[in-house]
Amino acid sequence: MNTLTPLAQDYLSRFDTAIGSLPGHQSSLVTTARQTARDIFARQDFPNKRVEEWRFTNLASLTKGIGDDIAEVPSASASIETPHVMTFVNGRFDAGKSSLDGLPDGIRLTSLAAELDAGNDSLINNSADHRAVVALNTAFMEDGYVLDVAANITLDQPLRVRFVSASGSVQNARHMRNIIRLGDGSSLTLLEEHTAEDGHSYFANPMTDITLEDGANFRHYKLQDENLVAYHLANTDCLLKDNATYENFSLAVGAKLSRNELTTTIVGAGATSILNGAYLMRGQQHSDTTTVTNHLVPENDSRQVYKGVLDDDSRGVFQGKIHIAENAQQVSGDQLSKALLLSDRATMACKPELQIYADDVKCSHGATSGELDEDALFYLQSRGIDAVTARKMLIEAFLADAMDEISDEAVKVYFSGIATAWLQKA
Amino acid sequence: MLEIKDLHATIGGKEILKGITLTINAGEIHAVMGPNGAGKSTLSYVLAGRSGYEVTSGSVTYKGEDLLALSPDERACKGIFLAFQYPVEIPGVASATFMKTAYNARQKYRGEQEVDAMEFLKLVRVKTKELGIKDEMLKRAVNVGFSGGEKKRNEVLQMALLEPDLMLLDETDSGLDIDALKIAADGINRLRSPERAGLIITHYQRLLDYIIPDFVHVLADGRIVKSGDKSLALELEEKGYAEMSAA
Ligand SMILES: Nc1ncnc2c1ncn2[C@@H]1O[C@H](COP(=O)(O)OP(=O)(O)OP(=O)(O)O)[C@@H](O)[C@H]1O
Ligand SMILES: [Mg+2]
Repeated sequence: MNTLTPLAQDYLSRFDTAIGSLPGHQSSLVTTARQTARDIFARQDFPNKRVEEWRFTNLASLTKGIGDDIAEVPSASASIETPHVMTFVNGRFDAGKSSLDGLPDGIRLTSLAAELDAGNDSLINNSADHRAVVALNTAFMEDGYVLDVAANITLDQPLRVRFVSASGSVQNARHMRNIIRLGDGSSLTLLEEHTAEDGHSYFANPMTDITLEDGANFRHYKLQDENLVAYHLANTDCLLKDNATYENFSLAVGAKLSRNELTTTIVGAGATSILNGAYLMRGQQHSDTTTVTNHLVPENDSRQVYKGVLDDDSRGVFQGKIHIAENAQQVSGDQLSKALLLSDRATMACKPELQIYADDVKCSHGATSGELDEDALFYLQSRGIDAVTARKMLIEAFLADAMDEISDEAVKVYFSGIATAWLQKA
Repeated sequence: MLEIKDLHATIGGKEILKGITLTINAGEIHAVMGPNGAGKSTLSYVLAGRSGYEVTSGSVTYKGEDLLALSPDERACKGIFLAFQYPVEIPGVASATFMKTAYNARQKYRGEQEVDAMEFLKLVRVKTKELGIKDEMLKRAVNVGFSGGEKKRNEVLQMALLEPDLMLLDETDSGLDIDALKIAADGINRLRSPERAGLIITHYQRLLDYIIPDFVHVLADGRIVKSGDKSLALELEEKGYAEMSAA
């Protein structure tokens, strides 16, 4: 048997001590969940290239132990105003930097650590998840947000949750566990941001668990703007019941290495899962988007559009699996992945996967990667537009049909602003 | 205004222009006709600065300057406009945004005031009205889903807006219906002035009934094989290129 990676060894050696002070340590349910997860992780270690789902994303630079590289900390390139903000600094809820007053009745947005310490341990799903990165999260989860929305509540303005990596942190890992439940017929928007105000390397490992009850409509937007020496391995699981709608848009511009893994499981008729995103990478950055869409019952839909812009030596990965169970008739699943390679050293790996066991379904998938259209570039230039501006116009146009999928107008403007700022730096 | 001297150009190692010499003075309109594959579009692309062509010998001087040393956008800002034979579709870029960016790029280059969206809309509305173009077209992505004729009209619209000193028109008449041809020709004629010049590539004498050229040239196999006045176009229409070249 192979020996464990240095980072795995480090985690396992610290586990027994850590468990006594992590939130929920008074609860045997939480403790058992952590121990079970620890064992799963210990058996697997971090995934290496021999694990099929991780074939294109090599964690070696992370698992040998986080180094002391320092990144430049960029200033914020765009901003958004929202009445409610919840802030986590270095993985811990920071009440001083949050403003949660005045949330409508029926909406609870709280800190997981506070919930667990208050004995609310039923939040933790004890089923043993086989995914190593999720298991690590369960074993070491320290905080996160808990959003609990009663039935028939509508909130138009986005709730905003910020995860900030700031200086003065002795700890360079953040295992955030977020739990979201929207009651019947509720409708809500959440903007989740992962940013850094400090240049040290760290490992962000957020796990988000979402349940959408009948008719719930959840718009979930995520900005991944970690510093350029950070690692970001995120998992989001969403369960959709009858007529529920989940809309996710993930914009990734940061991190040295990131993976955004989304698993949606549709167990209701009339439900719709919409996963979209854009990733803008340069330098040596690596971005992995992995989606798994499970259609377990008849009559529901899923669709996905991902756009990547890859410059310099950056690398993009898109893996999208659509699974349609045997009885899940009259289901549609559409998937599109497009990458724009701005440099001949940038690379894209793409793996669409359809597992269809029902016969009355409509599925499509498309994957392209290519360079900027030379003819379009010349056309713009022939009208007096300089090459740099022309390139930017074409890249923005390339991103537009993904960005246009963001149904919240304020978030669309915000994300477009971030993309534009990214392009200015080119 | 434009002096082309013994211009040779290749693409992918294949020589397409085989020694073209042509002088266009301010105020003049030159028509270029010639069989398919003769190199007419190639000539227009080389003048507009499209990449992929290698000029192996010869020179092009525009307003006293070495044209071939300039980037396509510099050429445009200095007053050259190419109306494409096949206008390019650009998904995701709205026509209005595109034209405003182009307009302001030129304004900026010339040290003139840039316009905002409202001012631009006013400017462009005057032109769309003149050219019988629906404003709705401005909202659509550049040339995407436009009919063949709409694409050509859109080229004329851009030209009317940018008011170039040297118009290069590559088969702008192809695909236009009879009424549209007249409207487009009017648009082009409005730009005619003693300070401006034009090179009009066409297969049809009909366009030249509306835009009377000062000179007509026949381009065949990469060379200008015959030049004359507007009567040459009529002669060509009658006899065809084969007989003319044999003559
Ligand atoms: N990329 C290329 N590689 C090789 N040959 C090319 C390339 N582009 C154009 N050609 C050739 O160059 C020649 C001239 O083409 P051009 O488009 O200039 O002709 P044209 O006179 O405009 O014809 P038409 O009247 O059909 O528009 C043609 O034989 C064409 O096939
Ligand atoms: Mg041609």
